[in-house]
Amino acid sequence: MERVLLARVGKKDSRAIDGYIADGGYAAWKRVVGGGLTPEQLTEEVKKSGLRGRGGAGFPTGVKWGFLPKDTKGKPIYLLCNADESEPGTFKDRLLMEEDPHQVIEGVALSAYAIKCQTAYIYIRGEFYDGARILDRALAEAYSKGFLGRNIMGSNVSLDITVHRGAGAYICGEETGLIESLEGKRGQPRIKPPFPAVHGVFGCPTIVNNVETLACVPHIVNRGVEWFSKIGRNEKNTGPKLYCLSGQVNRPGVYEAPMGLQLKELIFGDDFGRGMKGGRKVKAVIPGGASANMLTAAEIEDCPLDFDGVAAKGSMLGSAAIIVMNEDVCIVNAAQNLSKFFSHESCGQCTPCREGTPWLHKVLTRIEEGEGRVEDVDLLVRICNQMANGMTICVFSDAAIAPPLSSVTKFRDEYLHHVEHKRCRVGAKAAMAAV
Amino acid sequence: MSSAAPKPPMVPGGGGAPSAPAAPPPPQKDTFTVIFDGKPIEVPKNLNLIDAAKLAGIDIPHFCYHPRLSVVGQCRMCLVEIEGIPKIQAACTTPLKDGLSVKTTTEKVRSSRAATMEFLLINHPLDCPICDQAGECTLQDNAFGYGHQLSNYDENKRQFPTFDRTMIGPHVIADMTRCIQCTRCIRFTQEIAGTSELTFLDRGGRTLVWTHEGQALDNDWSGCAADVCPVGALTVREFRFRSRVWYLQKTKSVCPGCNVGCNVSIESKEDVVYRFLPRFNPDVNDYWLCDYGRLRSESLNARDVHKATLRHGNSVQDAVVPVAIHRMAAEIRQTVDGTGPSGLFFLGSAHLSNEENFLLRKLADHLACANRDVAVDKSRARKIKRKSDWISGDDAAANFRGARDMGLTPGKNGYGLEAVLSGKASPEVVIVADADFAAAADDPEKVAALRKARFLAVCARTANALTRAADVVLPAASLAEKEGTFTNVEGRVQRFERAFLPKPPSRATWELLLLLALELGYGDRNWTPADLLAAIAKEIPPYADIDPKDLEGGRLLKKGDFAWNGTL
Amino acid sequence: MSHTRYRIASAGKPRPFPPEAMTRIQETLKRYPTKQAALLPVLWIAQETFGWISKESAEEVARILELPPSHVDGVLTFYTMYNLHPVGTHLLQVCTSISCHLAGAGDLIAHCRKRLGIGLEETTKDGRFTMIEVECIAGCDRAPSMMVNDKYYEPMDEKKLDGLLDQLSGRA
Repeated sequence: MERVLLARVGKKDSRAIDGYIADGGYAAWKRVVGGGLTPEQLTEEVKKSGLRGRGGAGFPTGVKWGFLPKDTKGKPIYLLCNADESEPGTFKDRLLMEEDPHQVIEGVALSAYAIKCQTAYIYIRGEFYDGARILDRALAEAYSKGFLGRNIMGSNVSLDITVHRGAGAYICGEETGLIESLEGKRGQPRIKPPFPAVHGVFGCPTIVNNVETLACVPHIVNRGVEWFSKIGRNEKNTGPKLYCLSGQVNRPGVYEAPMGLQLKELIFGDDFGRGMKGGRKVKAVIPGGASANMLTAAEIEDCPLDFDGVAAKGSMLGSAAIIVMNEDVCIVNAAQNLSKFFSHESCGQCTPCREGTPWLHKVLTRIEEGEGRVEDVDLLVRICNQMANGMTICVFSDAAIAPPLSSVTKFRDEYLHHVEHKRCRVGAKAAMAAV
Repeated sequence: MSSAAPKPPMVPGGGGAPSAPAAPPPPQKDTFTVIFDGKPIEVPKNLNLIDAAKLAGIDIPHFCYHPRLSVVGQCRMCLVEIEGIPKIQAACTTPLKDGLSVKTTTEKVRSSRAATMEFLLINHPLDCPICDQAGECTLQDNAFGYGHQLSNYDENKRQFPTFDRTMIGPHVIADMTRCIQCTRCIRFTQEIAGTSELTFLDRGGRTLVWTHEGQALDNDWSGCAADVCPVGALTVREFRFRSRVWYLQKTKSVCPGCNVGCNVSIESKEDVVYRFLPRFNPDVNDYWLCDYGRLRSESLNARDVHKATLRHGNSVQDAVVPVAIHRMAAEIRQTVDGTGPSGLFFLGSAHLSNEENFLLRKLADHLACANRDVAVDKSRARKIKRKSDWISGDDAAANFRGARDMGLTPGKNGYGLEAVLSGKASPEVVIVADADFAAAADDPEKVAALRKARFLAVCARTANALTRAADVVLPAASLAEKEGTFTNVEGRVQRFERAFLPKPPSRATWELLLLLALELGYGDRNWTPADLLAAIAKEIPPYADIDPKDLEGGRLLKKGDFAWNGTL
Repeated sequence: MSHTRYRIASAGKPRPFPPEAMTRIQETLKRYPTKQAALLPVLWIAQETFGWISKESAEEVARILELPPSHVDGVLTFYTMYNLHPVGTHLLQVCTSISCHLAGAGDLIAHCRKRLGIGLEETTKDGRFTMIEVECIAGCDRAPSMMVNDKYYEPMDEKKLDGLLDQLSGRA
């Protein structure tokens, strides 16, 4: 497939606005600002394209935009670009922002226009120092060319985009956690309802969209709904998709393919991962970031990497972060490492997550270090089941239970081996970080 | 299918004739029907679901919800099933709507509550044996009612050792290891006190509540932060380790600290007052009590005067109450028969009840004496938050308003305290119903002016310059040892009850005044404060609709000019 | 329990912002409808100015943004990238999330420990290096990934690490 989102990545001076314009950039923006498309028309196009959110939830973008009230009672509408990419295994947004910032900016601008927003923020995680600098420079270029600001290109369209840096909190990738953080508070997710489209940042209607989602919008406008919706496995899973491949494969990296690329192709394909390092065998794959259920080697057969395809396998596409583990990896060790992540990142608001994530980490650590008991395996399952499905304010908790629950379900024998023999069956332990 | 509005019926005879007026629409009800476990109930629309359940007699356990604080839905204890929603829901964040159907007794609800309790207890220290909160601890109650019996936690508990047993403010001790991160205290300082001293620090399982370093939890209502804390993480310093709460008797009373008249519960044991707790009254102090008022509790235990005393020349000797009162009556009669009633002076007190001040004034009337007065010290303004506004007062006593209403102002041709203190008036006999009536009672100059009288008698509990100068001192009971009413700054008459009987020979001031009155031929020996209140209702027009049997929550007097202008 | 963020160290003296920083702060305030919303960017300006955020800086920020100091503390301690005490000239941030963990992040940490004599959250005596572990920094395809101050170094291995430490120590 021809590259769409990554078309300009790797080009010389891919970040500069002149190159972007020379490659056809900001044509969609100029067309739209010039009156070529009304906000309603643009929203309808995005809806028809089948674009689904690429941050993790996969919610249809056009439908989300439609949740905004028709009458905002004088309140301004805000668009927040979620560039807080922190899901372990995910690195596509970093690439897009660092290598082709104007694609992201044009996506933000078009989407802001569609939802009648005049103030947009790019909430970028604090660790992306380069990304923030590159975006700031690109925005300065866009302002100086008159593409942003008041009365853009003589129209009555106005838009200000500000880069807002986070400071080290995965939970600020949750849309209401992001909103709280933008308001200058601790990033603790809000109770929903009310939903951000009705009551978001500063109490105003707000839409939060992922970087990659927004980056698709200029292409939808330039090349049309037909073209976009024909890419992908079916009409419910459309468009080009970026996949983040990491783990023990020969060629980890960001790969672009039509939505629905087969998981095995991504791991073994010549255009993609080129198979397992050292010829080792696959033991387990996490298809959608740390928050996704693990798949066994058998389960990676016939697994189209789109929202519905992975869901059918009992996991989720999420942020399309595919982490491949080989037969030398101790699953207990991997689960313990993932539980450390979740216990560090829990915001601490609500009881089941605040108390449950450290508990899971402690039990997994004991099992991993040879101090586990037989009861601990079922204890893990019980703790997980008490943390999900409405027990908490947000779904961080549901994410946190994915590694332990799916690994105990599918690799129970490894856990039992740890407990019975006080050591790993695999023998060669992956190096463990001191905590 | 067309959704056009139905056309009005054709009236025979052609157009022009107006159609019959449409029937009025059914009245919009101002309640919602909510169904709890199959039983429907009408509830006001603006209620939180937890409070609505209470109306239906259903207890939904919770920690972080408080009717006066913002709803955060964090503790996850109030989980219920809502029909039509597959996942369990927090009741406190579920908006009411007509027809909402709530299930609180399903297995899912039971296990969710047990799960939350388990999570709360895994890191909670087993401090009950040394924790003040035991017996009034929501964690204990909910664990007992909804939790598991056994713990399955086998890891190290997280602790906050440097934040335990530490003063977080002048009146509050923190034991943060006990904290369950419900944020009630934080929200209290932000939303009620408006001082925002408290915050979360760090995040996740390490989340701690504390102040900015160098700043203390130091506002006028800091004790309320300990009140709202559902566990023993914040407790009132002055009460620490003094008593187990289940031994404390609770008595409905009113704070004596100022004229706002916050409702309090006197918590006592074996005739000692251990603390005040705020008593809920949405019209006065809501759920709150200021620190100054809270700490007035200790003053009720103070006592220097244990017996009546009589001065004979230069020596002061113990006496029995009847003998002392007999002497007072004799002195009063001597002046009445000699100079006349204008030689008497009666001083009431803003610390005394309406009944006591009324009885004093009636006695003065009986003796045809126009010289009667009451005074009060002013303090800094103290305020307390009600539901949507604040109520404030700056009297240093509870009942100046009531005392004035009872008629304690000089009558025609009579004089008041000012005249006596300045020397303009020189009474022969001065009767002071409360020796602690104001700071003047401990001021040697002012006491000297009162001492110019031939005979000076006081009722007292604590000693001061006035009691030391008096000829007769009668032992008076404290607020905790009598019942009566106060009238607060906005004209609300509020009843306070007796927690325990005074230790003989001390008696309530109204009793001492009644004994004096009877000696002087006034009153009925069977009178009680209830009888006095009934008489007040009969005689003092603004108090006319006060029903002694119906003072729950206080009764607001009708607006108007209350000051009794006495015709004597 | 892993390291906690309860104590914000004191600078020992007041910390007013220098004029350039104040100018940046004023510019920042223009981009938000409320002063409170500028809190995270202003804290970044404080950290860029002083290298870390002291109790005095927090109070100064609270004063400028008209926020209670407790609110600033709550935000400061929630977000892990704000340094609550002085850190070494070079802040070594080793990612220990799953992909980097599988690629040997633990070995990098052990190597730093051996070579520099410091563990996690610790600073070398000469004040040159502080080492911390961080969660996923989106360098998973170049694992194991690490950052030094604001720069990424990925993929890292023990040999490259030695070279980097030499360079940063001025020994290269």
